[in-house]
Amino acid sequence: MSIAEPADLDAPAPSLPWWRRLVHDPAAFVALIVLTIVVLCAILAPLISPHDPYASSRAVMQPPVWSDRGAWLHPLGTDGQGRDILSRIFYGTRLTLLIGLVSVGLGGVLGSLLGLLAAFRPRLDPWVMRLVDVMLSFPAILLGLALVAVFGPGAIPVMIALAIATVPDCARIARSIAVSVMKQEYIEAGRAVGLSDLALFTRYLLRNCISSILIFISLRFGQIILIGAALSFLGLGAKPPQAELGMMAAQGRDFLLFAPHIAVIPSVMIFVIVLAANVLGDALRDVLDPRLRS
Amino acid sequence: MKRLTLTAAVALALPAFAQAAEITIVREVDSNNYDPHRAVARAAAEVLFMLGDTLVSLNPDMQTIEPGVAKSWEVSEDGLTYTFNLREDVYFCDGKQMTAEDVAYSITRWVDPETKSPVAWRAGDVESVTAVDEFTVEYKLSEPFSELLYQLTQSFGTIIDSTNVEALGEDFGVSGLNGSGPFCWVEWTPRDKMIIERHEAYSWGAPFHTNTGPASMERITWQVVPEENTRTVAVLTGQSEITQYVPDIALAQLRDASTVEVVRSDLAFWTYFMGFKIDKATVSDPAVRQAINLAVDQTAMAEDLFFGEVEPAYSYVSQGALDWNTSLNDTLLTYNPEEANRILDEAGWERGSDGVRSKDGVRLEPIAYVFAGSTWGKISESVQAYLREIGVAMDIQAFDATVAWGRLATQEFDMFGMSFPYVSSGDALNLYFRSENMPTPNRMNWNDAETDELLQAGKTALDDATRAESYGAVLEIVHDAAVWLPLYHEPMVVAQSADLETVVPHNIYGAGLYKGLDLKFKE
Repeated sequence: MSIAEPADLDAPAPSLPWWRRLVHDPAAFVALIVLTIVVLCAILAPLISPHDPYASSRAVMQPPVWSDRGAWLHPLGTDGQGRDILSRIFYGTRLTLLIGLVSVGLGGVLGSLLGLLAAFRPRLDPWVMRLVDVMLSFPAILLGLALVAVFGPGAIPVMIALAIATVPDCARIARSIAVSVMKQEYIEAGRAVGLSDLALFTRYLLRNCISSILIFISLRFGQIILIGAALSFLGLGAKPPQAELGMMAAQGRDFLLFAPHIAVIPSVMIFVIVLAANVLGDALRDVLDPRLRS
Repeated sequence: MKRLTLTAAVALALPAFAQAAEITIVREVDSNNYDPHRAVARAAAEVLFMLGDTLVSLNPDMQTIEPGVAKSWEVSEDGLTYTFNLREDVYFCDGKQMTAEDVAYSITRWVDPETKSPVAWRAGDVESVTAVDEFTVEYKLSEPFSELLYQLTQSFGTIIDSTNVEALGEDFGVSGLNGSGPFCWVEWTPRDKMIIERHEAYSWGAPFHTNTGPASMERITWQVVPEENTRTVAVLTGQSEITQYVPDIALAQLRDASTVEVVRSDLAFWTYFMGFKIDKATVSDPAVRQAINLAVDQTAMAEDLFFGEVEPAYSYVSQGALDWNTSLNDTLLTYNPEEANRILDEAGWERGSDGVRSKDGVRLEPIAYVFAGSTWGKISESVQAYLREIGVAMDIQAFDATVAWGRLATQEFDMFGMSFPYVSSGDALNLYFRSENMPTPNRMNWNDAETDELLQAGKTALDDATRAESYGAVLEIVHDAAVWLPLYHEPMVVAQSADLETVVPHNIYGAGLYKGLDLKFKE
């Protein structure tokens, strides 16, 4: 009786590594490029900005370069305070992405832990899930309004509000995945060989759930950016003179009839970031989720 | 039969020729109520002027007191007793005749502590207001009040009907108000619209109106439209015939439009400023306050942010206001950033590595409380950018109007943004600089015995010269101390349909259309 080679027991391996398959999807490829450029612009903002994003000038409401009166001095024109829009877009993207990353990261970690814990310790399950239900009943915008009313406007209350808004969704997803993992025989086997709870949790449960959770978080990122921009649009997020894309769009609203570019450019930027993040999240799910492997 | 069809056709065609005398006025906000003694918003005043009358009225020149429901008045030698002789042909909307009893009732309710009117001080130190006979009112003060007649022209002095007030109780000014103005209350939908209709019997308009009554308009709808672009479009497309609430950015375009006429008053009695809480470490040094005044370019702000439609302010009240001290004209602080930096260097405020100045552990990072919204957003960010140039990092905290007033009554901030209407220098100074008005509206904590004495002298002055001299001296003291950073004076600008006769904008409490008597379609 021969013992099966471990390789034979593995699921058939995909022909290409996941990142190769990702770039083979043209939409995902474009989204990846766009997002890389956006992130680079955000990181390098202090180096590549042509002007001081906070310095106002007398040249207010200058049109962008492609319109008749545009000039290369301000490639995207200036806003109502005479500030260079291109520089503010770089800095604004920076803050917008930061708000998105921090809140999704924080909410994701907290939410996954809650969800995994609920699945791992069935006694805790009803308590954790009722807590999650309560959190789910607060819309993110309302929560943001309440937090800002307490702490005053600023990026940090918005991050906290968005993180809290991410927790319940993430917890539900993590729990549903973890519950099915907990039924697997290798968990039983692990218990049988006397693994500690901690080892069982980290080595078996977490490792088997993490990719699905990451996919959910990547999809959530776009939504969070959008809600963050909405809160800033309402004047709750970034504090002046900081630049934030939602706030820039709000400031441009008053000029909509006369200098539409002030509101349109940051809005397009939000659109591009959210779209790219969503397309990339979708593609990641396609290549990473083992259940979707064909 | 043929004749009948013809008549019908004519009847149908008529409205096309003669416009119905109905107009819609768009505005930005509504008032929380329309009780003249409890509502202090401009939104309340602009409707109350149309719904009611005051004892005396103010000429559009903002200086001359003219008759109202009082046809004449005498002031006693000691300035303590005012005797008003009322017109005998004034009627409320419900047809009841207005008598001296109504006047006495209105003023007494205004100053009654039970009413809790935030503007009771504007009626002076009232001892008693009594009806001597049916059409004579005796207004007795315990101390002279040189501003009294000016204050009585405001909407707070609206004469109301006691039976109406008692019948409506808490709903007075909410579900109705029986006034004697050129228009009568029809229906109010809060935060949406206020509908008023012509008072047919009205014939007692003040002499400076072209039309002393009844009004030409049959019906006026005050429509709330919060979005400024939407208001602009409403005027351009004829959905609204007249408004004073169009953004400055749109005025150039409106002037070019053949269907719209833009009328601008030369006077500007609504001033925007930022005040300093002078006992805060960041701004207690007069050098800092002076430097901040020198760092801001009000002229550039007026041109760039408000498209030249406002008047840059270097004085705390309009230089056209009654009792402005003309000797200050040459000493006002104007834009000079080099001088500002020099003053700060000399006073020992040194720039740190991040460019922000500090001295003895105090960093120049004043917290500024402002109202949320596009106007203060623009102003405060512009000031913030100017102050950055001289090493002052102003921290802007914007609050919605519902919480802002409460926040502005605290001691949490170093600077605050505010704007206010006034009829004269004395009006403005008594409101903001009296020590008894701390912590609000004297949010600067300006506590100066000399100022208090001079203000009292001005308030109780019996002749114009003493009053002007006293208020002039106060103006000099507060300008020298740089207690405020004046920003701009907002003139009254009205955008109206070209189908209307050109209106004369009024500056009283920022209510540009005042009584609405001269609103009229061209013939």
